[in-house]
Amino acid sequence: MKPRERFLKAVKRQEPDRVPQLIRWGKEIGERLSSIYGVGGEALGIRVGNDAVVCQVGINAYMEMSIGDLKEGETVTSEWGVVYQRQSGFNNPIAYPLKSRDDLKHFVFPDPHADFRMNQVKEVMSAYHEDYAIIVDLSSSLFEPAMAHLRGMENYLLDCYDDPAWAGSLLDGLADYYIQLGLRAVEQGVDIIRIGDDIGTQTGMLIPPELWQELVKPRLDRMIQAFKKANPEIIILYHSCGDFRAIIGDLIQLGVEFLSTMQPVGSMNLSELKKEFGAYVAFKGGLDTQQLLPHGTPAEVRAGVKNLINTLAVGGGYVFMPAHLLYQDVPLDNIWAMLEAVKDYGAYPLKT
Amino acid sequence: MSELLAIAGMVEKGKNLEVPDAVKAALDNGIAPYQILVEGLQAGLMVIGERFKKKQCFIPELLLSARAMKVGMEILRPLLVETGAKPLAKVVLGTVKDDLHDIGKNMVGMMLEGSGFQIIDLGVNVSEENFVEAVKNEKPSILAMSALLSTTAPNLKTTIEILKQNGLRDHVKVLVGGAPITADYAMEIGADGYASDAARAVDKANEFLKENI
Repeated sequence: MKPRERFLKAVKRQEPDRVPQLIRWGKEIGERLSSIYGVGGEALGIRVGNDAVVCQVGINAYMEMSIGDLKEGETVTSEWGVVYQRQSGFNNPIAYPLKSRDDLKHFVFPDPHADFRMNQVKEVMSAYHEDYAIIVDLSSSLFEPAMAHLRGMENYLLDCYDDPAWAGSLLDGLADYYIQLGLRAVEQGVDIIRIGDDIGTQTGMLIPPELWQELVKPRLDRMIQAFKKANPEIIILYHSCGDFRAIIGDLIQLGVEFLSTMQPVGSMNLSELKKEFGAYVAFKGGLDTQQLLPHGTPAEVRAGVKNLINTLAVGGGYVFMPAHLLYQDVPLDNIWAMLEAVKDYGAYPLKT
Repeated sequence: MSELLAIAGMVEKGKNLEVPDAVKAALDNGIAPYQILVEGLQAGLMVIGERFKKKQCFIPELLLSARAMKVGMEILRPLLVETGAKPLAKVVLGTVKDDLHDIGKNMVGMMLEGSGFQIIDLGVNVSEENFVEAVKNEKPSILAMSALLSTTAPNLKTTIEILKQNGLRDHVKVLVGGAPITADYAMEIGADGYASDAARAVDKANEFLKENI
């Protein structure tokens, strides 16, 4: 079975030959794996056994590795006017273009039609689409970029109460931008559009679910409808870190059929989520990156993978992935144990 | 007193625009600044903190209350200084080296300050040496450190070790928190306490004070 077929079958909540995987990493782990396998870029993911390739075209591209070779502590300003500082292998937003709400009047969103934005998508499509599922990532998409990139977290959280209409208009600007950008990716024939918005914390939603429903849901609806209108077959993948259980029902209602990252925190009891929502959505992620992968033994990692597969992969509907990118605190031995366990326990019919 | 209850209600509901007039009116009516602080502003913050712990409200609602508290405090602070009211204790606060995350740390600061503690906020990306210097110079009762990343959590441990090497460990209670931190981890690295959120950080800080008496 080709990886693409395996991946899409699992997303359609059917059992492929084995559980597909999509593992991603930060720069440091990428360099270590690259020196071991002798390949880099997308080829490294394939070499490690991934069944899909991701193209990040969203604003978070600036947080990950695509911002060039910044050294620790160095800063850079993005085309959005956000200043990022590299720290711990990650570009953190430290200064925001919308210093006041008035600044939005004169704020110019980047051009979603700029040619270069589809370069990677086109390359990946021609190199990998025949065999691999292609995901175009539009994250972070609405609430998260408004808060974490453009306005600053505390400012935007207060804006939502002080001036909800303004808070909504910023989300409209982001939705407009991402609809134009996402439609270009849909035109390229990609399989999956990933919309990501970190809205969960360790213990529950960052904002009241009602606020999310009023402010974010209509804009997310508009995005999803636009993509589905352009291609009714397009699969919408939604990602949030942390505990976002309170809005999973809403997401399903909007047409999301694939959820990631399933971080096992707060009320994110994965077995309950599979029972409650498994008939409507497929899951991706779930292996703890806060305790198990950095601090566990290889045997514990192996047991964790087995348990996860037996929880989420029953009847299909699961893609294996850790609950975040792999960062430099994860020992290589744990990575090997994880990869081996996915092979050992991921074949259908599952060994329980 | 109904006007103090009203102030508490304004803080609880985050009515920052109404608080200043209400505080001024209470002062005009001869209520002591300290009483307005404790029975008005702090009482309101305590209600929202309890609701937060029970997951009956969310982070932005806590931020709204903290802001309402702050505008009230700005009026009271000079008057409290005049009357010689002292903070409960001094807290040195910061996010560890290589970590630039600050909202959790800021919320801990706001909640502690609102509960009567004096906060020395060292900011983010604070080196072990800078924490140790601040403990030496500021002589706080509590050192509160945050780490949001699993990759920066070890810097909590090294800071505690350097405190020990400088003979300062017994001079200060160490409180830690952040997404990848657990109570077990806090114990393992030799901290005195762990709090999973800002409201619980206040509880922990109050516990420390009781232990000291």
